Amino acid sequence: MVTAAVSTENLTKIYTLDLLKGRKRVVALDGLNLTIGEGHVMGVLGPNGAGKSTTIKLLLNLITPTSGKARLFGLDPSDAEARRNVGYLPENPSPYEYLTGEEFVRFAGSLSGLRGAELTARVRTVLEQVQMDRFTGVQIRRYSKGMTQRIALAQALVSSPRLLILDEPTSGLDVLGRQLIRDIILAEKKKGTSVLLCSHIIPDVEALAEDVAILIGGKLVRSGPVSEMLSDEGSRVELTFEGVDAQRLSPLNPEVIQDGRRLIVRTAAASSRALIEAAHQAEGRLISMQPIRNSLEDAFLEALRNSQNKVGSTIE
Amino acid sequence: MNGVVSIALNGFREARRNRVTSVLFVFAFIMVFSTTVSVEFTVATFDRVMTDFGLGVIGLLSPALTLFLGTALIPREIERRTIFMVVARPVSRSAFLVGRYIGNVITVAFLVLVMGALFLLQMQFAGATSTYSSGIHREHLIALYGLLLEVVLLTAVSFLFAAASSQYVSALSVTCLYFIGHMSEDLYTLAGRSKSDVIRVVGRAIYYLLPNFDRLDFKARATYFDPTSNAELLSTTGYALAYTVLVLIVATRIFERRDFK
Ligand SMILES: Nc1ncnc2c1ncn2[C@@H]1O[C@H](COP(=O)(O)OP(=O)(O)OP(=O)(O)O)[C@@H](O)[C@H]1O
Ligand SMILES: [Mg+2]
Repeated sequence: MVTAAVSTENLTKIYTLDLLKGRKRVVALDGLNLTIGEGHVMGVLGPNGAGKSTTIKLLLNLITPTSGKARLFGLDPSDAEARRNVGYLPENPSPYEYLTGEEFVRFAGSLSGLRGAELTARVRTVLEQVQMDRFTGVQIRRYSKGMTQRIALAQALVSSPRLLILDEPTSGLDVLGRQLIRDIILAEKKKGTSVLLCSHIIPDVEALAEDVAILIGGKLVRSGPVSEMLSDEGSRVELTFEGVDAQRLSPLNPEVIQDGRRLIVRTAAASSRALIEAAHQAEGRLISMQPIRNSLEDAFLEALRNSQNKVGSTIE
Repeated sequence: MNGVVSIALNGFREARRNRVTSVLFVFAFIMVFSTTVSVEFTVATFDRVMTDFGLGVIGLLSPALTLFLGTALIPREIERRTIFMVVARPVSRSAFLVGRYIGNVITVAFLVLVMGALFLLQMQFAGATSTYSSGIHREHLIALYGLLLEVVLLTAVSFLFAAASSQYVSALSVTCLYFIGHMSEDLYTLAGRSKSDVIRVVGRAIYYLLPNFDRLDFKARATYFDPTSNAELLSTTGYALAYTVLVLIVATRIFERRDFK
């Protein structure tokens, strides 16, 4: 049997809150079943408070499940050996701020059992990889947010893990930084590293992940290959007009956005011709016309529309 | 095991660079140094006053530092989530706690040793320059050794509380425990005189269960040049270390189960 990099079985986490009004239960994660095969990249999408970070913390033994099980390469996360092949980048990472970037990455590598020349070489490699080799001697408290994020990514990579768990890796990064992270993940993917990637940036997930899981309110509402999620609807187009009154088009009942003098119209491809003619008669001008790619974003938004909990999870 | 060493050394390195520890260090230095300035060199009881003063200041600062640093370290790591990137690695939480413990003991012991060395230097200087002083005695060294044992035990107790609760709860609890631990012998004798069985049992329980910090305190003996036998030193050392190990075992058991939210 092939062991999966990550598997969960009815994984559930309930937080209890002691409020003035009494005890409340927050169902942060509700019966999650998820599998990431070795060498696969799984993107996890979900609105704020959906339970993404909770899932990750359960996988890394930072919190214990209320019920259900999690497995890393077939082992329970509370077993230190299970975490040997894992690199973890937390959400808003906070490394020891009085250490320099290099010292911190070294420290992380030594905790994973790296020693001597091998450790030194790995530290140098990953610092170059995240382009932080110029700031190695500077204490982390003098870093910007994005620089801290890069150092935290370097510590996740230092032990050459077989599984990367990344909680919003691109938060706080500039355009180049985001591009860099994408490239690093792609390179890891090529090496056969499994990746669990939580992100709010859907294009990133779309570009990197082959599988996607959508979590809403602690529940897994959809999961599967990205390619399957993209082919749901028939083709649509987006038309941009200038100098047309929206009311002139209303008989055709399209989806209309007024943008200053411009009018952006989304409609089924079949009715585009009628719209263009109507605009023409109103003496408007067609500026552009492009097909709407049915993106992961649409799939995500649709899943979100169909659920009650938009933000956070059930509080009882 | 290697994890423990890395974590310990790392903790010490961090503490050296931390502004809070640096400020404490300077403060401790000034406090101990000011004892010389305030003691008259030409008093017949010079050694007694000097020892009383010098060791008194160190004996006050050392547990205060231990308590302050020992109860703050773990809760702060959890609150600031610096702990995430460490315990997610293939090291056990016990290794993390013990490593942090050792790092903290090294930090505080270092501060105490520097204060102690400064004090001994003053005694040595007085012994060499003043006819009223006979310099450093074995009792001085024993008193400083007792202070180090106190650091070892009190840090462990601080970690036990910090592993289980928040910074403020543990600081308060350990402060109370420290004072009770210094009076446990008095409480024992006091309770023994009571007519109530309950009070006698409670008094005995406190004496045997709570850490007896009084037992590690050799400062008064140093002041009066009251000698301590090697056997007593050995049994005291054994007591402090055994108690420390026990407390750390309980602390790691609690810490293994804790949620880091
Ligand atoms: N320590 C805690 N105590 C109580 N409830 C908590 C705690 N931590 C998280 N929660 C709740 O659990 C739910 C899931 O939180 P989680 O951090 O997993 O969300 P997330 O998907 O990572 O969100 P985001 O995108 O904002 O990072 C939320 O409803 C949150 O309120
Ligand atoms: Mg999150």
